[in-house]
Amino acid sequence: MTELIGALERDAVEEILNIAIGQAAASLSRMVRDHVALSVPFVEFLSPAVAAERLDGTTGGADSVAVRQHFSSSFSGDILLIFPERRSLDLVRSMLGDSVPMDSLTELEQEALLEVGNVILNACLGSLANQLGLTIQSSLPIYLRGRGARILDTKHPDTELVMFLQVDFSLATKGVQGYLAFVMDIVSARHFAEAVSAYVARVIGG
Amino acid sequence: MTSRTVLLVDDSRVARMMTRSVVEKSCPDWTILEAATGEEALEYVAASVPDFILMDVNMPGMGGLETARLLSERFPAIALSLLTANIQDSVREEAGRLGIGYISKPLKDEELIRFLTGGNGAS
Repeated sequence: MTELIGALERDAVEEILNIAIGQAAASLSRMVRDHVALSVPFVEFLSPAVAAERLDGTTGGADSVAVRQHFSSSFSGDILLIFPERRSLDLVRSMLGDSVPMDSLTELEQEALLEVGNVILNACLGSLANQLGLTIQSSLPIYLRGRGARILDTKHPDTELVMFLQVDFSLATKGVQGYLAFVMDIVSARHFAEAVSAYVARVIGG
Repeated sequence: MTSRTVLLVDDSRVARMMTRSVVEKSCPDWTILEAATGEEALEYVAASVPDFILMDVNMPGMGGLETARLLSERFPAIALSLLTANIQDSVREEAGRLGIGYISKPLKDEELIRFLTGGNGAS
């Protein structure tokens, strides 16, 4: 991380992402009609292998489910919303409430999770774009299930970095935990750092 | 409230279900139609013009912004609003340029009701 950006930019990255994730949490809270407690410990730049291990550690080695969306701007990569599989149905139940019969919940689980991911990831990307003064294009979200390495699915493990954020999407009554991760290669990570530097210069200059 | 027709355009069945549920509660006599793509929406509207359209942005195929642009050009009387998770200023501004509404997901019931009763989306 320190090779990519300086201390001031690192602070700025964390603040920008804090705001973006706050926006995402507000969206989630409205969807599940419940208070969402959030924590963003810090941003880490990890190799894909270490990030996959970290992810597996948080789920006790069990499968996770994830919604993944590709994004592109002056920097590009993938953003993922990940949570342990065993709690995903709780999230869907919280979201759809009583409007859907129990026996339809499982059938709708994948589509519901895709819509949760769509809203949360776009809230995060949108906030990021608005703060940095950029337009970010994003693809349609896709659904994934498996261990950390499959979820992260980096194409170039030797050159890619995972900008890893562990976010506790703790719902007051459900205890559902979620994690947000960005996957960017080194070139994109540098462009991201440049966008952040420009933001810092603008904020300080203004 | 006079009976009207609303077309929900969203590739997510769950998103359509959630929007439908709000419309059904607030406007129980209205007719609700659903389309999963922009292309499908254009076909529906060519056959029968609805009073309101709620349009997702990020969809396979044509996409919501292009579909909204075509619809607002061809059918200016329809009250059309984006209903999208994409909260970027650029999308909001594009809605303004097209002269259509903008409502962000997740949907707030009161915002949708305001659109359906006033014919304008949230700015």
